[in-house]
Amino acid sequence: MAARWRAVTRPIYLYFRLLGQQMKAIMAYEADFVIYAGSAVLVQLVGFIFIWTIFQRIPTINGWTMWEVVMMYALIFLTEGVGSLFFEGTWGLARLVYTGKFDSFLLRPVSPILQVVTADVGLNGLGNIVTGFILIGLSVTHVSLEWTPGRIAMLAIAIVSASAIRVAINLGTAATVFWTRSPWSSVPMFVHQLGDFAKYPLTIYSLGVQVIIVIAIPFAFVSFFPTAVVFGESPWSLPGLLTPLVAIYTVVLAVVIFRVGLRRYEGAGN
Amino acid sequence: MVVAGSHKYVSLARASLEVILTYRLSFLMNVIGTVFYVIAMFYLWRTIFGGNSAALGGFTWLEMKGYLLVAFLMNSLLTWYDEFMIGRGIREGEVASDLVRPLDFQTSRFAQAVGPVPTELATALLVAMAVAFAFGGVALPPDPVYAAVFVVSAALATLIKFGLIFCVAMGAFWTTGLYGLTTGRIAVQGVFSGALIPLAFFPDWLRAISAVLPFQGTVSTPALIYLGKVDGTAMLAMVAVQAAWAVGLIVLGRLIFRRAVRAVTIHGG
Repeated sequence: MAARWRAVTRPIYLYFRLLGQQMKAIMAYEADFVIYAGSAVLVQLVGFIFIWTIFQRIPTINGWTMWEVVMMYALIFLTEGVGSLFFEGTWGLARLVYTGKFDSFLLRPVSPILQVVTADVGLNGLGNIVTGFILIGLSVTHVSLEWTPGRIAMLAIAIVSASAIRVAINLGTAATVFWTRSPWSSVPMFVHQLGDFAKYPLTIYSLGVQVIIVIAIPFAFVSFFPTAVVFGESPWSLPGLLTPLVAIYTVVLAVVIFRVGLRRYEGAGN
Repeated sequence: MVVAGSHKYVSLARASLEVILTYRLSFLMNVIGTVFYVIAMFYLWRTIFGGNSAALGGFTWLEMKGYLLVAFLMNSLLTWYDEFMIGRGIREGEVASDLVRPLDFQTSRFAQAVGPVPTELATALLVAMAVAFAFGGVALPPDPVYAAVFVVSAALATLIKFGLIFCVAMGAFWTTGLYGLTTGRIAVQGVFSGALIPLAFFPDWLRAISAVLPFQGTVSTPALIYLGKVDGTAMLAMVAVQAAWAVGLIVLGRLIFRRAVRAVTIHGG
């Protein structure tokens, strides 16, 4: 029993130790931290100005109010922040493999995934997380909702699930480097950009785009569906209840892709 | 003399273009990535216009599509990558050997930045045409005069953008957080250039701020000229303002560079 418990706690402990070391290294450059966090805040502010300006002209977009769209927007940036602050290392995987540094990860008795995600820290993430939470806070207080414990739990689950999906997409696409051997994160970046679609309500798109961001790369479950659930916008809130399941599915899929890729990488004689 | 000296910069530009062509897959992925943003914008504005032909903020849907594509085109020329490259040269000390060469530092960086512009332009035009086709056509300049002035204005817009990029890249002399500065530049430029939304949609106070900043010259001015929204002396005045900002920013960049080099020389002996 104790051994099994250790199998769970050990990676978590290691994760925070490894990430802590990166934090220390980066915090040495205090000015950089201010610049990165500040620029993230600026980007979100700009996004908010854009949405606000549009809604000065029209009351709703396809029936979605300004604060609902703000919520979708905020979820995209908040989850991006979680990815940057806690799992930035996925963006460096291509470089690690290209330079051969990844091989040293394989020699250590620690999960390679754990080492990859903790290989870097994106301090801009902090700016995104804080501003994301502020925008979500503004959003939910501007819409008259009854704050039952159930709804609060739904909001919390939505944020956690959305973050998990986002990180899983980053990890799964980063692992394509085991096949492409590209020194850049072109594939992850490409897929990452698809997230632009999820900043606005799913209903504005034609079927093709909807299929891509609901089924192929489930960005709609990062922003649109969680928003629909929290605000109780039927009929979209019903599939929105699947969000935690989609999160589990994408995380498992990402880990599987990583493991298959890793086996291929090792098999190639490295 | 000018012609005799310029071939050095032309070869710098060509070398920089070749680098892009060597890694064309990566370049293509980057371009296609930005397309998603444009497509999302088209869907969003199509929904906002709601299929009716009434103008919003002085734009019809047909004009709005033209505006969005000109904005996309202008945003495709010179990117964060140029700041990154100038910054890397400074951070990794390449700047020391640049100072020894009989070349002007800013002109060299300009040559390297504009080298890939033909590829950026060609890809962006291809994408713009595909998007225009998919969304049922866009407004074209109402007469050839606007088209001609638009080309001049777009060239000046690129000069202004280079001026901005160069000034921001000088930040690499003082901080290692250049990418953060670049992100900030892109965000601020997005709002005040009219790239996100035509400035006409803004409330008066926001429009007043945009008017005194250089950013509107990078997107709004060429886009409005393209659509024939301004004419006569007003149009020429706008182009003159662009030219003034281009010169001003390039001179500012030179001043910052000179100051930075002095600091570096003192520190480095």
